[in-house]
Amino acid sequence: MDQSRSKLTYSLVIIVGFLTVCPVVMLTLGSFSEGLTAFGSFTLDKYIDAYTNPALFEVIVNTVIFVLGSSTLATVLALFLAYLNTRTDIPFKFLFRILSIIPMMIPHLLFSVSWALLLNPSNGMMNIVLKNALFLESAPFNIYSLWGMILVEGLLDLPIAYLIIAPAMASFDVALEESSRVFGAGTWRTLFRVTLPVLRPAILAAFILGVVRSLASFAVPSVIGMPGRVYVLATHLYEMIALGFATDYGKAAAVGMSVLATSVTLIFVYRALTAESEKYVTISGRGYRPTMVELKGARIPLFIVVALLSFIMIVLPVAVLFYTSLVPYTMVPSARAFSLMSWKHWIDVLHDPLSLLSLKNSLFLGVVGATLGVALSIFVAYVIVKVKTRASGVLESLSYLSFSFPGIVIGVGFMWFFVQTPLYATIWALLIGYIATYLPYGIRPLASAFIQVHAHLEESSLVCGASPLTTMRRIIVPLLIPGIVSAWILMATMFVRELTLSVVLSRPGTEVLAVQILRFADDGLWGKLSALGIIMIFISITLVILATLIGAKFRAVESGE
Amino acid sequence: MEIRIQGVSKYYFSEGKTIKALDGVDLTIPANRIFTLLGPSGCGKTTLLRCIVGLEAPDTGEISIGDDVVWSKGKNISIAPEKRGLGMVFQTYAIWPHMNVFDNVAYPLQIRKLPRHVIRERVEKTLRFVRLEGFEKRPATKLSGGQQQRVALARALVAEPKVILFDEPLSNLDAKLREETRKELKTFLGKLKITAVYVTHDRVEALALSDTIAVMRAGEIVEVGSPQKIYFDADHEFVADFIGRANLIKATVRTQEAEHTVVDSGIGTIACQRRDFPIGSEVTLCLRPEFIRLARGEGAGGKNVVNGRVDSLVFVGEAYETEIRAGNELLLAKFDPDANLNEGDPVSFTLDPAHCLLVSI
Repeated sequence: MDQSRSKLTYSLVIIVGFLTVCPVVMLTLGSFSEGLTAFGSFTLDKYIDAYTNPALFEVIVNTVIFVLGSSTLATVLALFLAYLNTRTDIPFKFLFRILSIIPMMIPHLLFSVSWALLLNPSNGMMNIVLKNALFLESAPFNIYSLWGMILVEGLLDLPIAYLIIAPAMASFDVALEESSRVFGAGTWRTLFRVTLPVLRPAILAAFILGVVRSLASFAVPSVIGMPGRVYVLATHLYEMIALGFATDYGKAAAVGMSVLATSVTLIFVYRALTAESEKYVTISGRGYRPTMVELKGARIPLFIVVALLSFIMIVLPVAVLFYTSLVPYTMVPSARAFSLMSWKHWIDVLHDPLSLLSLKNSLFLGVVGATLGVALSIFVAYVIVKVKTRASGVLESLSYLSFSFPGIVIGVGFMWFFVQTPLYATIWALLIGYIATYLPYGIRPLASAFIQVHAHLEESSLVCGASPLTTMRRIIVPLLIPGIVSAWILMATMFVRELTLSVVLSRPGTEVLAVQILRFADDGLWGKLSALGIIMIFISITLVILATLIGAKFRAVESGE
Repeated sequence: MEIRIQGVSKYYFSEGKTIKALDGVDLTIPANRIFTLLGPSGCGKTTLLRCIVGLEAPDTGEISIGDDVVWSKGKNISIAPEKRGLGMVFQTYAIWPHMNVFDNVAYPLQIRKLPRHVIRERVEKTLRFVRLEGFEKRPATKLSGGQQQRVALARALVAEPKVILFDEPLSNLDAKLREETRKELKTFLGKLKITAVYVTHDRVEALALSDTIAVMRAGEIVEVGSPQKIYFDADHEFVADFIGRANLIKATVRTQEAEHTVVDSGIGTIACQRRDFPIGSEVTLCLRPEFIRLARGEGAGGKNVVNGRVDSLVFVGEAYETEIRAGNELLLAKFDPDANLNEGDPVSFTLDPAHCLLVSI
C-alpha cells in the first residue's frame, strides 16, 4: 500500500509539476529567445528592448497607483463591512453573506462593461442623466481613467477581502478591547492601539491578495483603461502580443518575468501572513459572545450604505446589461426606450456563428475542463492531506504555485510551450492552461473535505468487513461529494468566464465567451455584448444548479439504501 | 475466542530515529473475558490493538485469533482487516455522518449480503440491546456523545463477532457520562459470550471494567493480572504507581518471617506482605493512602504503628487528604471527613501488613 501511494505521489508531482513549472520555464526561456519561431537561440535583446521602452515608466506608475488604490479601496470597504456585520446591531445581516458571495458569480468583464455603460464620458447612462438634470456642459464623470479603474477593481476585489477579514474579526476576543478601555483608552485609541494591530495580519493578507489580483486583472484595464489610453502592465503586455503589426512574445515574456516575480513574492508573503493570522485568532471558547456596538441613530443611514453597496455590486450590473441587451442603441431609460425594446440583439447573437462557436467552446471547457480538473484535484488533495511525506510536501507547494500566476503572463509562458507542440491553436491548449492556472481552486475545497474524512471512518468500514473498494464507494466518495461539488462549481464557473489566459491562447476557431465579449466591446456592439453576457451568467448559474442537484442526488441514493 | 500474540514488534522511523512502538510482545488474551490494555499514552497499547485488528502490520512475530493465524512474519501470512471478522469501537466512534443510525448499524450486515428482512431484524435487535430502539431514522450526527457511542457499539456487535475491540471508547465523553457509559458497557458485555479487548489510559476505567488487565510501558507488557492483583499485589513499582495513588518509600529487607517480610525504611521498621526478596536488598515500599489508618489513643503499641505530625490538611468532601510527616518521609493519607484533625497535630497510624506492598525498584 505504501509503495502504490508513493508511486501515486510521484506521478502527481510530475503531472502538477509539468502544469505549473512548464509555463514558468518556457516564459523564462522565451524571454531569452529571438522569437516564437526561433526558440532557444539565446539573446538579451528582448530585455533591453522591453526595459528601455520610454513608455514603460508611465505604465509602471499607472500600475502601482491602480494596484495600490484598488487594494486599499477593497480592504477599507471590507473592514467597514466586516465590522458592521460582526460587531454592530445593523439590521438584515443576511445581506452581508449575499454581498460576499453573489458578486463572485458576475464575471469581472461584465461588471466592468456595465460600469462603462453607466459612466463613459460620451453616452454613459448615468452621465447623461446627471448632465440633463444639472444642466452641465459635459459629462460629470469619466470612468475611462485611473480613478475609474480603481473604483471598479476595488469593488471587484471587495468580496475576497471581506471573506478574509470577516472571520478574523468574528473570532476576535473582545476582552482585549475591553481591557484597553478599562485601562483608560478611549474608543478611537482602542481601535488604533488594539483592534487594528491585532487584526493586522488578516488586513495585510486581504490587502496583498488584492494587490496580486489587481496586478493580474485584465478585464478592468482592458475595458475601462484602454479606451482612456491608461495602460497598466497587463494591457501593456496584451498590446505587445495582440495588437499592432509586430507581435513580440519575447518582449512580452521579458516584461512578464518581473510581473510573475512580483506576484510569486507577494503570494509567499500572503501565505506567511495567513499562517500568522491563524496564530492570532483568539477565540476564547467558553461563554464567548462579542459585545455588540449599538449604532443608535447611525443604524439606518449605515444600513442604507450597505444596501446601496449591495445594489451597486449585484443588481445594477445585471440590470444594466439586461436593459442594454433589449434597447437598439445606448439610451437613457425612458418611455421611448421601453417602446423600442426588442429581442433583436439576442436573436442576432444566437445567429452569429462566432458567438455560437464561443458558446460551444466555453461550455465544453467548463464541463470537460472542470471534470478533468476536479479528477486531478481529488488525487492531489488526497496525497496532500493523507500522505505525509517529503514528496507530498513538494506537491503541495507546486499545486499552490499557480495561485500566484497572473493569467496573461502565464498565458505567454504557455504560448511559448504550445507553439512547439501540435496542441497550438486547439481547444486542448486552453483546457490545459485553464486547469494549470486554476488548480488551487479545485484542490482547496477537496483538501478540506479530505481533512474531514477522519482515518477512523475509513478503518471502521474495513473492520466491519468491507473491502477497500467498497469502502471507497460507500464511505469515502459519499463523504467527499460536497467537496467535489463545490470544487466542480468553482472550476466550471471560472472556466466559463475565463478571460485573461484566453486572450493570449485563443486563436481563430478556439474563441471563448469572454474573448468574444471583449471583441464586441472593442467594436462598441454593446447590445450584442450584453445579450451574450447575460447568456454567460445564465450558463454559470445553470451549471451551479445542476452540480448541486447531482450532488444532492448522490447523497440521497446513499441514505436511501 | 482466544487471541495469542507471540514476539510482536513494531517499529516507527521518524527523523532518522527508530521508535519501538511494540517490543517483542508475548500475550495470551483469554476467550470470552474483558481484557484491558492499560498504560500511559505512547506505551504502544493502541498500536497493539491495531495490530490485532489488522490496521497495522507488525514488523515481527505472529498473531492468531482462535485457530486462525491472522498475521505471521515467518509464515508470510497477512489477513486483511475486513477478512478477520472482528468488531471495533473507535475512540472517535467513527460514525459515518452521511448515514442514519440504521444504515450505520446495518453496514456490516449489508457487506455480508444478508437478505433485507434479516438485516432489519438483527439491526432492530441490536439497537434494542444498546437501548437505542426508535432511533433508526435519525441522522447519526444528530445524536449525543453517549448515544453515538452506543451506535458504534451496536455496529461492532451486530454481525455477532467473536472478538470486539475498544480503542479508548469513553475518552470523548464528559466525566459523568463516562461513568454511566462504563457501567452500561460492563452490563452489555456481561450478557454476551464475547472476547473484549479494551484499550485505555484511565486506571479507574480499567479496574472497573476488566476481568484481566495488562499494564504496558514503552512497547512492553509489564504485568498481567486481575484488577485486584494489579491494585493490591503488583510486582513492579511502575504498575503500583500507575494503577493508583501510592506512597513509594525506599526500604531495605531486614528479615524474612513466616508470614511477613520485615523492612527498614524512613518511617521505621515495617512488617509487610511476604515477598521473596533476599535479606539486605533494596526494595520499594508501596502504601496506598486509603490504607493508612488513624490509630486512636496516643502512641498505641503493637505492630506497624507509626507516629508523625499532620503537615497539611485538605478537605475534599468525602475525605481529608492529609500529608503526614513521619521520620524523613512525607506520606499522603486519606482520613474520614469526621476525623478531628488540625495542622501540626501529632498523629499515629497503623499499617495492615497485608496492604504494605513490597515491589522491586
